[in-house]
Amino acid sequence: MKQMSGLRLRILQGVLMILALVLLLPIIQTFLYSFSSIDEMKVFLKTRGSYDTTRWMEAHLIPNVVSLEQYYQILITDNTVLRLFVNSAMYALMIMAGQAVIIPAMAFGLSRFRFRGKNVIFFGIILLMLLPFQVTMVPNVLTLRSLGLTDTVWAVILPMWFMPFYIFLIRQFMVGLPNELIEAAEMDGAGTFSTYLRIILPVCRPILGAAAALSFADCWNLVEQPLTYLAARPDLQPLSIQFNQLARENTGFEFAGATLYILPALFIYLFFQEDILSGITLTELK
Amino acid sequence: MYRKKRQVLPFLLPGLAGLLLFYVAPFFGGIWYSLTDGSFENTFVGFRNYTAVWQNPMFQLGLKNTLELSLICAPLLFLLSFVISVVVNRMRPAGSVFRNTALLPYLMPSSAVLIIWLLWFDYGGPVNHLITLLGGSRIEWLQGASLRFPVVLLFLWKNMGFCIVIFLAALQAIPVSLYEYATLEGASFPRQAFTITLPLIVPSAFLVFILCWVNAFRIFKEVYFIGGAYPDEPIYTLQNYMNNMYSKLNYQNVTTAAYSFAVIVFVLFGLLFWLQSRAQRGLS
Repeated sequence: MKQMSGLRLRILQGVLMILALVLLLPIIQTFLYSFSSIDEMKVFLKTRGSYDTTRWMEAHLIPNVVSLEQYYQILITDNTVLRLFVNSAMYALMIMAGQAVIIPAMAFGLSRFRFRGKNVIFFGIILLMLLPFQVTMVPNVLTLRSLGLTDTVWAVILPMWFMPFYIFLIRQFMVGLPNELIEAAEMDGAGTFSTYLRIILPVCRPILGAAAALSFADCWNLVEQPLTYLAARPDLQPLSIQFNQLARENTGFEFAGATLYILPALFIYLFFQEDILSGITLTELK
Repeated sequence: MYRKKRQVLPFLLPGLAGLLLFYVAPFFGGIWYSLTDGSFENTFVGFRNYTAVWQNPMFQLGLKNTLELSLICAPLLFLLSFVISVVVNRMRPAGSVFRNTALLPYLMPSSAVLIIWLLWFDYGGPVNHLITLLGGSRIEWLQGASLRFPVVLLFLWKNMGFCIVIFLAALQAIPVSLYEYATLEGASFPRQAFTITLPLIVPSAFLVFILCWVNAFRIFKEVYFIGGAYPDEPIYTLQNYMNNMYSKLNYQNVTTAAYSFAVIVFVLFGLLFWLQSRAQRGLS
């Protein structure tokens, strides 16, 4: 690797560090604001939305007085955020449970077997992967309607079980596994199913972790699906689409609520970070 | 590689059945919807729905904005993450710290940080403060045409990290000796990036480009959070149109709009695949 001259390297490093800080700033700010008192936030938020050219919004980063008032409000006095949080968690859990059963199995079938029609199926999955939600929502709705599932939680959950992108991702990883792995297992007399469970899945740990983390990000940030399929059932909607409405109406929800909302995603990120990096690195993505 | 064909069935069937049930079969079934009038008798009307939808000003606006926003977002996301990856690849360990930081927003729920976004782009907020410090004048970010800026930025903030991760994975596979040779020949750093690096990672770069574009077509979350269900004209996307039609139970228009868009998407990606295979042949 070409070594850059010391000064240029320093400057580039500086620029990158500033950029990294800017990328993190929304999260840091949310976290800091969540520890100020509700009245302080009310005063601060009132200074925005003014079109007076002589005035600026109050500069504010660190709370004047550290207070747990906002948390007290969302955790104890008012359980709206908690209820929606539980909804979101339910969606994430149900979707990922289904995906865990269906997607790696399908990727295994498409990568380690030779049969007619395999390429057609794989090509179809790639086509589906390219279609944006605006297009795939139509077939989904038609089936959901004829099964009578619109306005139920299943309308959001079921179509997500078959996300083509994750089938593609895991299949690409499995294609790269050495044949000896399977041959050795067959020599030991292991059946297809036990080879899959005991050998293939453990070896695929990085990509499975990566897919799980990416899929969690999808589930935790569901917007299009519940907005379309659950328009008539606000009680079934997840936090992702109701949070802003709530935050607008109740000062004190926006920062403590957001922190609470971010935390699971942060844990998932920390837990699966290595898997995402090594999983993507080891996958033949082309 | 297994040759026992029958054993593949238990693995393949659940997924295949689901894909057929929720995606493939209704996709073809839906074509019929888009060709009928939706009345009780469901009369066949040919392409009349298509001409009606294509002449609808809201559909035109949504389609135009979706295409424009994706034309801004996809190339911007691609170039930014490519340039950053090339730079980051050359400085470890500081580089991997940056990569890990950039990935974090991908997992963050956008609605949680929205309020911060609105604060930053407030008329009296820090972004405008910075602009006036640099000698410019304040901009009304949250209204009219400039609304696109925070929307695009929120999109970049969220999606850049994942693209960088894919790029870096591909970059690490390039042998170091190539760069050493190029340096001896006196090739500059940006020149090396575009003459050595980019051609060598064409397959991965192509995938990133496609993913950027697919994600950019889906740009709606950001619009919905910043602009609501009925946003200002400059950010009214196709998804807004579809949702409004869906809530009016106008399935004919929903299916027609969706299939019109599908044709555009397929033509566009078909063209891109064709270009990529030509480029690849040209390189090797």
